[in-house]
Amino acid sequence: MSADASDLSLVRRVQRGDKGAFDALVLKYQHKLVKLVMRYVRNPAEAEDIAQEAFIKAYRALPQFRGDSAFYTWLYRIAINTAKNAVVSRDRSPIEYDLDRNNDESYDMQGRMKDSETPEGLVLTEEIRSTVNAAIDALPEDLRTAIVLRELEGLSYEEIAAAMACPVGTVRSRIFRAREAIDRRLREVFEGGLGRAEELG
Amino acid sequence: MSTSERFIALTLAWAVAGAALAGEASPERTPAHKTSLESAPAHKTSLDQAPAHKTSLESAPAHKTSLDQAPAHKTSLESAPAHWLERMNRALTTRNYDGTFSHWHGGRVEMLRIIHRVQDGTVSERLASLDGSGREFIRAGPSLTCYLPDKRTVLVEQRPPQESLVGFPAVNDQTASFYDIREVNRTRLNRRNTHVITVSPKDEYRYGYRLWIDDSTAMPLKTQLCDRRGHVIEQIVFASLTLPAHIPDSAFKSDVSTAGFQWLRNESGPPAPTAATLAWNAMRLPPGFRMAARSAQTLPGSADPVDHLVFTDGLASVSVFVEAQRREQADQPAVPESAALGSSSAFSTVIDGHKITAVGEVPPDTVRFIASQLKAEEPPAVSSRRH
Amino acid sequence: MNEELDSQLSAMFDDELAPGECELLARRLSRDEQLKARWGRYAVIGAAIRSERGVRLNAALAGRVSAVILAEPALAAAHGAHRAAVRWWQPLAGAAVAVGVALVSVLWLRAQVPFAGAPRNAHLTATASVPAAAVVAAAAAGAPDSYVVPRAPAVRAMVPSTELANYVVAHSVFSSPVARRNLLSAFMTSESGTAAEEPPDEPQGNVH
Repeated sequence: MSADASDLSLVRRVQRGDKGAFDALVLKYQHKLVKLVMRYVRNPAEAEDIAQEAFIKAYRALPQFRGDSAFYTWLYRIAINTAKNAVVSRDRSPIEYDLDRNNDESYDMQGRMKDSETPEGLVLTEEIRSTVNAAIDALPEDLRTAIVLRELEGLSYEEIAAAMACPVGTVRSRIFRAREAIDRRLREVFEGGLGRAEELG
Repeated sequence: MSTSERFIALTLAWAVAGAALAGEASPERTPAHKTSLESAPAHKTSLDQAPAHKTSLESAPAHKTSLDQAPAHKTSLESAPAHWLERMNRALTTRNYDGTFSHWHGGRVEMLRIIHRVQDGTVSERLASLDGSGREFIRAGPSLTCYLPDKRTVLVEQRPPQESLVGFPAVNDQTASFYDIREVNRTRLNRRNTHVITVSPKDEYRYGYRLWIDDSTAMPLKTQLCDRRGHVIEQIVFASLTLPAHIPDSAFKSDVSTAGFQWLRNESGPPAPTAATLAWNAMRLPPGFRMAARSAQTLPGSADPVDHLVFTDGLASVSVFVEAQRREQADQPAVPESAALGSSSAFSTVIDGHKITAVGEVPPDTVRFIASQLKAEEPPAVSSRRH
Repeated sequence: MNEELDSQLSAMFDDELAPGECELLARRLSRDEQLKARWGRYAVIGAAIRSERGVRLNAALAGRVSAVILAEPALAAAHGAHRAAVRWWQPLAGAAVAVGVALVSVLWLRAQVPFAGAPRNAHLTATASVPAAAVVAAAAAGAPDSYVVPRAPAVRAMVPSTELANYVVAHSVFSSPVARRNLLSAFMTSESGTAAEEPPDEPQGNVH
């Protein structure tokens, strides 16, 4: 399987002027990019702003993307640079040093949630997470293993096939069925909480 | 933890430095300080004495006490800007903190995260590169672990536990004669009140600092390392910083997946002192530098003993490592080599069949000077280890 | 919903679809909002499984980017209209090519493992974690090869050999706190492959 064919097919479309294809790239990588940027800034809202800026920079630079490296490699480097610049030029927009409170509340290694993290956002994120976890728990063992090896361990279908001693086609089908089962539960949350009806059809 | 007498001797030197620190807590600081300075030559003498053992062990708890208290002490330096350096050093060594900072050097910016904790007298520290290299440095009490994913290597070094408590080197009155220490400004930095302290070297053997020290916590929010003319060579600015009351142990576990890595350790502990060890010393030193510690040790992954000498002027320190050349290297021409790590310098040369490497946060000429001044004092009745 | 289509979508999401099929599906994906929403939820599922704390799973990020892009000229029509973007980007390209896969794998590794501690879903990790410690080579003793100081031709940026690393670590114990942080930071970041940066706006400037 040629690596990156999926991203590349979308990238080529964007390069030919199809903006809708860029949406798909953003949807796919937004969480990973925010997660990456969260190493530089603690505040989720700020991380999202930086990720947004990185996506837009990437869009504008896309004509020069030749596919020498994987798209996400390229995208990640743009995000790192954007985050660095944002942090370095922060003298303009002051930083919060959290030095005054000798806070004993639970210490969060991933950065504490600032007030900009709206309660609503948190609740929904937690709801999504617990929905996904519950859906995974309810999966048959072979589906659960397949999706976890894919999403948590990042294994390719071929590696998963080797690990589960089954054909690659079976892996593809198991992962798809796992996603569908989880997605069925997830749609209810999105419908209830986000009102993005136009996306849900 | 196997601790040889050599190491104990080393920690004695620490204890003396620690006593100087502890001395700050008393109003009679200046005399205490003087003593510690005058006793510097005594370090060396005490190295080979057995009683050193006892002294160093006894003084360790005393030191701990001095750290556990955060005394609003009166010192002769209190009114002086040097006081801020001391407060800062104490904050950096005794507080719990977690911050990300940018490290700028040579036109490059890297982001790092530092987590530091002092709990029950044990220091834990984790420094991780957030960018490409994935390297991490983790210190958990006596154990220093260096993850080098790019080399697929992990270095693990065990140090005497006493060392982890020692703030070193200690700023003292002598320091003031080689640096000009001033508070040049009070300014707001990111909504915090800071004291801007400059530490300017009076000669070319050392670097200076410009420090933005937080008024209420004494944490340095921004530090610049400058050459003698005040040009910035290296800069660290905190992007975020918190002082948590509690940091869990899990914060000091590495992310690095070490499957298939080579692990290099010095678990064998320091070698027993033998008569075969040459007594190395520097014939001349840059003004203000003195030997503060010496030890024999093994380094991770090597069975060969290394002599480790430490020279300091109270602010900057230089380590000199002396190793007997291995046989296979003996035929090679001795080519002196220089290296730089950020603003720190390293210089390696060969003297009398021994490889001498000096490392320190000083200009290149200073490590070169010190390394080239090393000389073995022939001990009595010793056939050298030369192959 | 067409099950075969969704199955393809799932495979494409994992980059496991043949290039020809990708081309066709990409075309459809870019136009079909329903398909796009499903694709977006696949990403949410992945993020939820990885338990990426602090990352909002319901963020409006994609919508915001989409809105900005909508106001931009389409790329095919705008060739050469992005001088600034080109200049900004070019050093990156070189670095990305040179650094290549190693950097990516490190990034991936770090992106996927939470900074501290295990992921919350213990049952998930238990399924698949590799017993790292068991694989570790106990090559402690010898390894003389790694103990040669590299012939650094110039003074700049010496590759930190294992030997120098040992020295630096041993020395760091004796440095003042600020100097130690400088030293270890430089050591952590030396030769890390992120050259070719544009310099930051700030560092040397604001000296009082």
